[in-house]
Amino acid sequence: MASSEMMGSQVKCLLSGVSDHGDRHLAEVETDLVQMNILLAEAIKKLGASFMAIHGALCIQQETVSQLLSGGAPAPECVARLEAIHGEIGQHVNAAVTGLQFQDMTSQLIGRMVTHLAGLRDMFGALGTGSSNVLPESDQQDIVTLLNCVNQMLAQRSVALEGSVRKAVSQRHMESGDIELF
Amino acid sequence: MAKTILAVDDSGSLRQMVAFSLKAAGYEVIEAVDGQDGLDKAKKQTVDLVLTDQNMPRMDGLSFIKALRGMTSYQRVPILMLTTESGDDMKAQGKAAGANGWLVKPFDPQRLTEVVKKVIG
Repeated sequence: MASSEMMGSQVKCLLSGVSDHGDRHLAEVETDLVQMNILLAEAIKKLGASFMAIHGALCIQQETVSQLLSGGAPAPECVARLEAIHGEIGQHVNAAVTGLQFQDMTSQLIGRMVTHLAGLRDMFGALGTGSSNVLPESDQQDIVTLLNCVNQMLAQRSVALEGSVRKAVSQRHMESGDIELF
Repeated sequence: MAKTILAVDDSGSLRQMVAFSLKAAGYEVIEAVDGQDGLDKAKKQTVDLVLTDQNMPRMDGLSFIKALRGMTSYQRVPILMLTTESGDDMKAQGKAAGANGWLVKPFDPQRLTEVVKKVIG
């Protein structure tokens, strides 16, 4: 086999391998991410429902305690303690509501990752398409020309990907955000 | 009579948290899943305040606000953005579109309620 044939064969093998291997990995990652998004959404739905139920029960309990206390002459320190507990529960509920908003952000981040993965898969697809045009008898000039075309395709896809994906979530913690009235 | 707030967000959990917080403060809350759904619901009933996300399918928050401001009945209704977006350029676009305020997620229920009370009482 001439050296040019070997080169063509090797380049074809390389490009096909990169394309197929990368595509399989990315397909798995994409599937996992989509599944994670579904699981997170389900988890937050259940957490939210439980949270509301607990809060409702606590409110009823508080009303009951208040009714009991209004019937007799409870010690002032007991009344103060109950009021303090009620306030603490309110603060915990507010904190939980803030914390529970993680799903909104992770969902946006996951959606962005899926878009990036789709872009990567597109790039691997371009590599695979290029490799199919390489023949064993292709000479070095053919290969150089082909590689140049493939590189141009990849560059175009990279530019398109960068232009289409803007990061909307910059939060790195779950503290409440700024408020500005115009 | 309780004042009504239209909460527009494509995240079901976020809408749930907004509705929970505002209903606890005595407001009625109508939920919409995106800007287009919000616009459809706004046409059926004029609300006292609109709280909307920015990044949503079908119609984003800025387009939604522009469409609302084009309706006679919504030219003076307060509109607040509640979004993960925190960049000054986006805030400027929101203000230009007709938003009256910008709240960055995640929100604290007490602070959200305070802002809503300040805006519509």
